Amino acid sequence: MKPEDTTTPEQPRPPARLPLWANPRIGLVVLLIALIALFTTLRPAFLNTQLTLVPMQADISVYAVVGLSQLAVLSLGHMNMAVGRMAAMSAFASGLLHDRLDAPLIVALAGGLAMGALLGALAGLIIARTGVNSFVVTLALDFALIGLVSLLYASFTDGVAFNGLPAGMSALRTDTFADYCAGDLCGPPIPLLAPIALVAVLVVGLLFRWSRTGREVLMAGSNAKAAELSGIPVRARVIQAHALSGLLAGLAGFLLSANNGAFSAGVGDGFLLPSFLAPVLGGTLLVGGAVSVLGTVLGTAITQVIYKGLNLLQFQVDELKLYIGLVLLAALSLDRLRHVLAERRGVPA
Amino acid sequence: MLLAEGLTKSFPGVRALDGATLQLTAGSVHALLGENGAGKSTLVKILTGVYRPDGGRVVLDGRDVHFGSPLEALHAGIGVVHQERNLVPGFSIAENIALQHLPNRLGMVDRTRMRAEARRCLDLLDLDLDPDTRVAELSVAQAQLVEIAKALSVDTRVLLLDEPTASLTGDEADRLYAIVRKLTATGHAVVLVSHKLEEVFAVADTVTVLRDGRSVAQAQPLSGYTRDEIVDLMVGRAYASVELTARTVDRDATPALELAGLSTRHGHRDVSLTVARGEILGLYGLVGAGRTELAKALLGLDEITGGEVRVHGAPVRIRDVGQALRRHRIGYVPEDRKGEGLFLEQPITRNVGVTVWRRLARFGLIPDRAERDVVAEYTKLLGIRAASPNQLAGQLSGGNQQKVSLAKWLAASCDILIVDEPTVGIDVRTKAAFHELIARLAGQGMAILLISSDLPEIVTLADRIAVMGDAAVRGELANDHDYDTVSQRVIRLIHAAPAPV
Repeated sequence: MKPEDTTTPEQPRPPARLPLWANPRIGLVVLLIALIALFTTLRPAFLNTQLTLVPMQADISVYAVVGLSQLAVLSLGHMNMAVGRMAAMSAFASGLLHDRLDAPLIVALAGGLAMGALLGALAGLIIARTGVNSFVVTLALDFALIGLVSLLYASFTDGVAFNGLPAGMSALRTDTFADYCAGDLCGPPIPLLAPIALVAVLVVGLLFRWSRTGREVLMAGSNAKAAELSGIPVRARVIQAHALSGLLAGLAGFLLSANNGAFSAGVGDGFLLPSFLAPVLGGTLLVGGAVSVLGTVLGTAITQVIYKGLNLLQFQVDELKLYIGLVLLAALSLDRLRHVLAERRGVPA
Repeated sequence: MLLAEGLTKSFPGVRALDGATLQLTAGSVHALLGENGAGKSTLVKILTGVYRPDGGRVVLDGRDVHFGSPLEALHAGIGVVHQERNLVPGFSIAENIALQHLPNRLGMVDRTRMRAEARRCLDLLDLDLDPDTRVAELSVAQAQLVEIAKALSVDTRVLLLDEPTASLTGDEADRLYAIVRKLTATGHAVVLVSHKLEEVFAVADTVTVLRDGRSVAQAQPLSGYTRDEIVDLMVGRAYASVELTARTVDRDATPALELAGLSTRHGHRDVSLTVARGEILGLYGLVGAGRTELAKALLGLDEITGGEVRVHGAPVRIRDVGQALRRHRIGYVPEDRKGEGLFLEQPITRNVGVTVWRRLARFGLIPDRAERDVVAEYTKLLGIRAASPNQLAGQLSGGNQQKVSLAKWLAASCDILIVDEPTVGIDVRTKAAFHELIARLAGQGMAILLISSDLPEIVTLADRIAVMGDAAVRGELANDHDYDTVSQRVIRLIHAAPAPV
């Protein structure tokens, strides 16, 4: 008997296509467009380039990278509770390099990224070595770093921030491509921060989709035992994923510092919640094994549009938080509902 | 009593049920048989409210019923014991039994009533267990019986047992079936899903056979069939026993894999085995004899404390599976295919490709096309039946899952393969195909260490048989493929006194 005989003569039908409404990404795009339409109707100023669109793009750039930082470890089913403080430490490293050694922009950036990657790798190493839950390890690390960041800023600066930025960094803050013209031809009104974030998005996307390392991280997140028994160096992948998370946190810290106009101790304070919101909203699983980079960008865009929109409608900061929380809860419940409905119809969502 | 008629149910790429019919009468044991993927599990899940059928109807006591959830089915009197354990280990027996309907008083759990209720259920089965015992402390067989007690805790009249004896010993299974008999005597209808035909013939009164989602025999008296006729019905054509190609093994050449006096932290003592190129060494033993642990120690997953491992004559120290694969071309197909062999949430492509990414990668990136080609080659070679290479491994039938779990090692071109219980829970036809495949791989020069608790399987396949007990090799014998004599010698070795340390 040949093994081919084990197939039945009739060819199984191809899997049923996911219905359009069940495609999470399309749902997000529709939601995003609906929100923009809604806010534009209520406040036409929502489409004002200088007032809204440019700052919003800068924020989306920063927070997309924050989301990717969390996504890097969500791929394993891990968490990084220290994203904010890793960003703060990176910003400190960049600031110190510029302040004391007069490092140019690119060197300050590299130093910051290295600091982030190092802290991430440290967290990953502890997790891989001890087997302690990533939540606990990174939470403890975060706590330790809160103290360290204040101590460092107290010793090396006037207390909260470095004076001055490397040359060219203010341009990242203030300029858009529209400020650079060749003859009559000017660029689009996109802040200079955006392409940096775009590169991060593309690299992370490439990593998880096509690179061996990225795929092996996802396999380890899918089933660590089976990964080990398939010859994947699981510990190394855990360390690498956390190092990537730290590196991206560092990049986010740099982008926010550029946006704020200073390397300060408070960079990264507000990173934790958005870092989870964007990937989860975008369809990344908390249990690991599957990530959506595009979804994370869309999730970030939706969060920022809501934020800007409510801001324009002159909600107070506390109200803003309340409504954002509610909107996100609703979005996540809808997402869950969609899964259940799709499952009932026998389609994997 | 219960009639399920013309049931249909489709999943992506698979028509799991295609007009299946099941009819039950009170007071009898009804066997539901079929190969993996024939639709048994789907049928059971429809009857217990897990799935809703696409078509057909379920009639209980003359009324059409539609179950929206497992709880509704339970309250209608249909209880089920699934193949997998469904008890909460940290809870007591009483808590587990009462889980779906905790008796409450003033919003608090009424523990006295809960205990009395559990006692009543346990008494139904003549089980002398303390309801306050934690489930974690029970033996596998006891836990199985508690599952049945739980299924009977509501006013259950139909009891579905899915492979109830898969993890039980012969005596324990006999005990369970005595209880099943007792239940039918009190008017319960019992549905028995099992791959063990001997047990089915010993216990069941009537039989329904499913094939490709249709019932090819419906509620027939089992006494009208022989074992072979049932197998024919399940397989759909006269089942030819496997004709394995004769192989010649060069026993004088350097062995591919050699364990010399190996001791491990797990407690293995002085284990010596050799596997030649093109040879199948059967490693037989009872559950818990330490065979899987030996394989894992060999792969660097547990510490080796003494002795030596030699691959093609050269002493090696294997650190992990990746190194075993890359340096020594050793592959390991684990026993627990869902937990260790597969990535259930990942597509077939990734499950098969995972071992070859290193080879395919260019500048760290994997070209889709190269991966697709490799995966297509091995899915075809092994006859993996799936809607598309992108189908998730978790959606495949047991036999196809096992093929995927094996495919990744063939794709990585291993020349030493350790296969651990390759055909557990796999139907007759796929099992035969697997045996043929393993023999063919050996015929191509692969050295195979076959770990199995299935004695007929070992006798069919192995060139030599090593018998393991209490983490030591009890003895080794040549296999002349004569089941009666070989099995007697093996069983004698198993029950021989352990060698003095």
